[in-house]
Amino acid sequence: MPLGLLKYGLRPRRPPDRFLPPRPELKRAYDTVIIGGGGHGLAAAYYLAVDHGITDVAVLDKGYLGGGNTGRNTAIVRANYLTEDGVRFYAESLDLWRGLSGELDFNLQYSERGHLTLAHADSAIRTMRWRAEVNKHLGVDSELIFPDEIARLVPGLDLSSDVRHPVLAALYHPPGATARHDAVVWAYAARAAARGVELHSDTEVTGIEVEGGRVTGVETSRGTISCNRVLQAVAGQSSLVSGMAGFRLPIHTVPLQACVSLPLKPWLDPIVVSGSLHVYIWQSARGEVVIGGATDPYGLYANRSTLEFAEGTLLPVLELFPFLANVKMLRQWAGMCDMTPDFSPVMGVTPVENLYIDAGWGTWGFKATPVCGKRMAELIATGRTPDLLQPFRLSRFAEFEQVGEKGAASVGH
Amino acid sequence: MKIMPCPLNGPRPIQEFTCGGEVVATPNPDRADAETWADYLFLHHNAAGIVREWWYHVPTSFWFIADRNTVTDEIVRTFLPRELFRPDAQRDQP
Amino acid sequence: MTEPRSPIDDAVRAAGAVVGEHAGVTAVTDYGDPEAEIAASRRLGLADLSPLARVGFRGPGAREWLAARGVELPDEPNRARVQPDGSIAIARSWTEALVLGALRGADSVCDRLEAGAADGHRVRAYSLPRFDGMFWFALTGASAVDCLAKLCGVDMRESAFPVGSVAQTSLARLNAVIVRVDLGDMPVFHLLGDSASAEYAWASLLDAMQEFDGRPVGLRALHALAREFE
Ligand SMILES: Cc1cc2nc3c(=O)[nH]c(=O)nc-3n(C[C@H](O)[C@H](O)[C@H](O)COP(=O)(O)OP(=O)(O)OC[C@H]3O[C@@H](n4cnc5c(N)ncnc54)[C@H](O)[C@@H]3O)c2cc1C
Repeated sequence: MPLGLLKYGLRPRRPPDRFLPPRPELKRAYDTVIIGGGGHGLAAAYYLAVDHGITDVAVLDKGYLGGGNTGRNTAIVRANYLTEDGVRFYAESLDLWRGLSGELDFNLQYSERGHLTLAHADSAIRTMRWRAEVNKHLGVDSELIFPDEIARLVPGLDLSSDVRHPVLAALYHPPGATARHDAVVWAYAARAAARGVELHSDTEVTGIEVEGGRVTGVETSRGTISCNRVLQAVAGQSSLVSGMAGFRLPIHTVPLQACVSLPLKPWLDPIVVSGSLHVYIWQSARGEVVIGGATDPYGLYANRSTLEFAEGTLLPVLELFPFLANVKMLRQWAGMCDMTPDFSPVMGVTPVENLYIDAGWGTWGFKATPVCGKRMAELIATGRTPDLLQPFRLSRFAEFEQVGEKGAASVGH
Repeated sequence: MKIMPCPLNGPRPIQEFTCGGEVVATPNPDRADAETWADYLFLHHNAAGIVREWWYHVPTSFWFIADRNTVTDEIVRTFLPRELFRPDAQRDQP
Repeated sequence: MTEPRSPIDDAVRAAGAVVGEHAGVTAVTDYGDPEAEIAASRRLGLADLSPLARVGFRGPGAREWLAARGVELPDEPNRARVQPDGSIAIARSWTEALVLGALRGADSVCDRLEAGAADGHRVRAYSLPRFDGMFWFALTGASAVDCLAKLCGVDMRESAFPVGSVAQTSLARLNAVIVRVDLGDMPVFHLLGDSASAEYAWASLLDAMQEFDGRPVGLRALHALAREFE
């Protein structure tokens, strides 16, 4: 019998393995500081370590890891966007998602269930044909389908014509998927930490030090750190953090709410979205019906829920699925979204040298967690903006080169 | 229900209103360079705290200004634009 | 030239409306039983007044220009004042007015104002055509306040919303102008909104009225009640 096992057996207490290492002391200096321990910040840390061997990295979060939008989102992953730049980017994310549970050796419950965007008007059909063509051209599986096939895919959907907004067609995107959002945080965090990245929860960044136009460190609630490079990945707080470095963003922070029902027997396989009714719905592995809608009508830095959201979102859901009328709702919550004017993210360099930004993810950034982490890590490591990120640069606004994705937003805003 | 005190219509549910964004000076479109114009169009202060915004009461097509706390979701004060803008003032002078 | 039609002409005809001329106006005179409609109006009635005249004015000179033509606007916005000829002058804001023609008699005041509107430009008073763009219904009777409470967030009880009050708000989720001008002791709420949504508004109101035993009523019943209170 190995001696180690014997000693273990004789020990009075046997603490379980820690999944994440305890929070270390904060050092005075790191090579790279990542502000924001959501999926994006942690993924960037993981790829910095794995792809580029950069491990002198601290991830700082003012709360707990994954307590921001990554832990609040409705976990829909898809690539059926409208612009070539968008489709290409999100398609690479789909590729990464497919192998991610294996790569991270952690079950992310990645579930390809298909994604339908319903069209209730001719104008919507026109946009969907357009999206389907752009998608197919870039090798992304998307097709316009009609009520006979919709009925086969979505039992229980009211397809009658005597409703206010009859369903005329749908953009069907078979690779549309969902993933366990918390697992994504835990897996990236654990695998990054295993390679030496430090995880500092409960560590708020309160200032960014800039000298001669170049970032030199950050002030935190636990002391000042000097560093060579900083990545900010703080979703709804993006303007506040960039403000610490002295520049403004094309971002407006607006809450987005969602809710889930009590668990039901499995009945709904795909994700169903209606842009005209401003709702989307899918059923989780636990049987809970996950329901989301449009962003709140005005900006706020608060995660409060409202009755108006529940009323305004659940009523149209009943137009689609009248039989849900007596189902009880279980939870409702909100996250603060960093909305951009063109519904595309902001990734890349900033006016401050060596300060990189990953923001403007609004209501659509969970699906981009792997690709964004990977490509931002490449930018930080090499100092060169990857081609895939070029269209999403911060300076595109001043250059009047927006990447208009509003037409592919899941629901109207 | 969130209540907005409208200077014309009195207290009303906030669903009757649309937020028109931060009150900022409009650059003169004939003289502004592209950078100034892009800044005006796209960049926001997006402050956490008390902000000054345009608001619009939809049933009356009525624009007014509100000071609002974006952290506590409280409306501090609402008032008529003429407190800030003279009726015939130049566009780029608030 | 064809008669101007109400935006809900089809709906009221399908409900058995008799459309004809009564006291100088072509509108729904009744739904086949004017006597019962008088009783219903006192309880809860809904009349389509869309064929009656109305016109709006806006601009810094609107108030003064209207005054010079004998229309006395209330001093405060969101108030209505009945004029000697039975028309109603509404202040929608400091610089916007809406004039509703009298219930009885081919209107003169709105026609007169519209005919002279070009002259208003001189003093920055601009006419806003409201006939085609807005429906006009009247909700009458003892249960009108309770019925409106189902469709609208503004307190319509007499203590909060006395005669002469105006609310520009959301009614059945539509933008609407609600004006209280009673006929004698019978509550009357004039409801005006976008004519493109008139059928929806009409159907929503009738639906909300069901539990109070309300029904559509014609102009004949309202005229009879108006005479009674004179
Ligand atoms: C209700 C809802 C539904 C959504 N549904 C979807 C969906 O179905 N599909 C999809 O793709 N996207 C969706 N999104 C969007 C998605 O959640 C986000 O875009 C994505 O999670 C952003 O990830 P992140 O890591 O950048 O941000 P976050 O997960 O929010 O992480 C940012 C972190 O930064 C920290 N932080 C902030 N300020 C500081 C500071 N000063 N110092 C230190 N730390 C700081 C925060 O505590 C937070 O943990 C949804 C969002 C919401 C709110």
